[in-house]
Amino acid sequence: MYKIESKNVDFFYGSSQALKNINIAIKPNTVTALIGPSGCGKSTYLRLFNRMNDLIDNTKISGQILIDGDDIYAKGVNVDSLRKKVGMVFQKPNPFPKTIFENVAYGLRVNGISDKKIIEERVETSIKQVVLWDEVKDKLKKSAFELSGGQQQRLCIARALAIQPSIILMDEPTSALDPISTSKVEELIYELKTKYTIVIVTHNMQQAGRVSDTTAFFYMGELIEYDNTKTIFTNPKIERTQNYITGRFG
Amino acid sequence: MDVIDENKLAKSKKRKQAIAFWIFRILSYSVVAILFIILSFIVIKGISVINWNFISQMPEEGMTKGGIYPAIIGTLCLVAGSMLFAFPIGVMAAIYMNEYVKAGLIKKIIKQMTNNLAGIPSIVFGLFGMSLFVNKLGFGDSILAGSLTLGLLALPVVIRTTEESLKAVEDTFRQASLGLGASKWETTRKVVLPIAFPNIITGLILSIGRVSGETAPILFTVAAYFLPKLPTSIFDQAMALPYHLYVISTSGTNIEESRPIAYGTALVLIIIVLIANLLANALRKYFGKKVKMN
Amino acid sequence: MSHLDIELQQLKAETIKMWQLVNLQLTKGKESLLKLDKDLAREVILSERRVNAYELKLDRDCENIFALFNPVAVDLRFVLAVLKINNNLERTGDIVEGIAKFVLNVDSNFDTKLLEITRVVEMYAAANNMMECVLEAFDKEDTSLARKVFQQDELLDDINVKANSIIADYIRNHPDNIDATLYLLSIIRKLERVGDQAKNMAEEIIFYIEAKVLKHRSKVDKSKE
Repeated sequence: MYKIESKNVDFFYGSSQALKNINIAIKPNTVTALIGPSGCGKSTYLRLFNRMNDLIDNTKISGQILIDGDDIYAKGVNVDSLRKKVGMVFQKPNPFPKTIFENVAYGLRVNGISDKKIIEERVETSIKQVVLWDEVKDKLKKSAFELSGGQQQRLCIARALAIQPSIILMDEPTSALDPISTSKVEELIYELKTKYTIVIVTHNMQQAGRVSDTTAFFYMGELIEYDNTKTIFTNPKIERTQNYITGRFG
Repeated sequence: MDVIDENKLAKSKKRKQAIAFWIFRILSYSVVAILFIILSFIVIKGISVINWNFISQMPEEGMTKGGIYPAIIGTLCLVAGSMLFAFPIGVMAAIYMNEYVKAGLIKKIIKQMTNNLAGIPSIVFGLFGMSLFVNKLGFGDSILAGSLTLGLLALPVVIRTTEESLKAVEDTFRQASLGLGASKWETTRKVVLPIAFPNIITGLILSIGRVSGETAPILFTVAAYFLPKLPTSIFDQAMALPYHLYVISTSGTNIEESRPIAYGTALVLIIIVLIANLLANALRKYFGKKVKMN
Repeated sequence: MSHLDIELQQLKAETIKMWQLVNLQLTKGKESLLKLDKDLAREVILSERRVNAYELKLDRDCENIFALFNPVAVDLRFVLAVLKINNNLERTGDIVEGIAKFVLNVDSNFDTKLLEITRVVEMYAAANNMMECVLEAFDKEDTSLARKVFQQDELLDDINVKANSIIADYIRNHPDNIDATLYLLSIIRKLERVGDQAKNMAEEIIFYIEAKVLKHRSKVDKSKE
């Protein structure tokens, strides 16, 4: 059983086609890296999984995306509950203008959880999950903006974890971080794998190698190669993939 | 290939740069100088009449003596009234336009209309206000009619600054909130507005500065030529600083004698606008901090 | 512990397993030689396949670590060292297989007196000991243990050099047993090469821990440094 399946997915911005016939099947509890040069469609593709592209005007999708076997673009799908299941982490750390505690509690509150005890519990577990608890436990009431960039990004991951998703989408989650914070987030990704299915867009080839189990290489809106990360990085089947990962183009 | 004299090249580059920067420097200094000249002109001419009586007394003897108290109060009432009207409507319109309407014809039309509204001469607002509020709706020459007219004038400014403030909020904040299952309204209220608020406040106060100085829109809708008493309700006429200034400089009983009072009035008006701007900065800083602490 | 640390630890564990297997082969080879146990020799030859399988696996593991984790500094030296040690271990495995084949081929027993005068048993024990010693050095990351091996190797060289004249003398006196005697000489040559492999591995360990290159230096230098 696959966690995410994408069948013949085409995607259009207005009249220009951003994705062409993408077929991918992702197993549960794995990390999948989407790599490729800028504008290859990898971020667009990632945003299909929680229907974030719905927010952009004049877009169109065809084909199917199944999560746990259900077509998330079928009629009558509740987008809010889909998004509860699929958490997202962004390129730049973007904590809300709230306290550290309220940032993590936000998702719980908008989903109708008001029991103080449950909220406190979940906030603590989530912050612990991202190995941030010791750093922030004494300043939960302080603004999230007081944290360092790396801490903010981990807080944003905690915020996503709090509503207990089963999939986490990460859009270049370390591109704005220094190397130490980057490796902390990478370790985190490696550990979160045991509980979540993770899809990560990255520009950093080494990062794809370090954190992912499978890698998908996109080029000009097409899926060029999709395989085990080991295979992609030691013996890619397609020359264009090899040229890209060896830095010879793009 | 020619041998390039590195030293010569560097010198000529430096010279060109120096010339360019000097031009910029002179131009920007002259702007400051002009502003300084205007201000000091008014201060020098007006400071002599300003004292507590001037701002707390009624005008006397055909406005050649006495104070400008009712004009100050009138202007404050008009500013408050116009903001009460323009701020909620403008902010809501901007939220609707920026957060809800999809790109398309409707959005384009609304946008174009707001821009057009901003470009209409203020005297036309005055005429419109007179025919709609004063005559059609029967408010008469009153603070209400004047406030609404000034509000209309301020509306496009409020809408535009609010829209810019909302646009400045990075999309990922919205996406992060929606991604957690929040609705658009929750996202706007709990995430977008708090982030945009300091800038919205700034826009609001800048438009106060604009409104408090307008003469034309109040000409036909509220302003009294000479009314040595305070308004008691929103249906009363009132004096206002800019109009008072206009009147005593052009059609007073004795223009020459009331000249010092005119400069005094101008100075008070400028001080009010200045205070509004300082307040804008202070509030932006305050809310900027508060947003993060909240 | 970081993801790379886990991978490196697994790589080390795998290398140690392979090493133990090779050492076991070496011990079994000795047994089979002393007792002329042809079954045991056959077993050694069969097990050589497992050594080869290990070699392929370690090669692939190293390749993956290079490709996926881009190790640097001590991590890089470690993986490079493992890559070469892997090679040395496989060679050692081949050498032991060769010894086992001689045991299998020889018709008559080796003359115990000959074994004694050539000191081949002593040599074998020393080679075996060297391998154990380097393995321990690798496991504990102890370069002083690794350095000991350079001295032990001198014994192997000494026995090897003297073996020529001893064997020649013996053949002159016992021309009836030339085959077995020549096999023995070959075994001595092979044991000398086991010593060389152990030495190379010791050099790799020192390279990875201390970042010092000891190759092509004199023995005195090596044990001093």
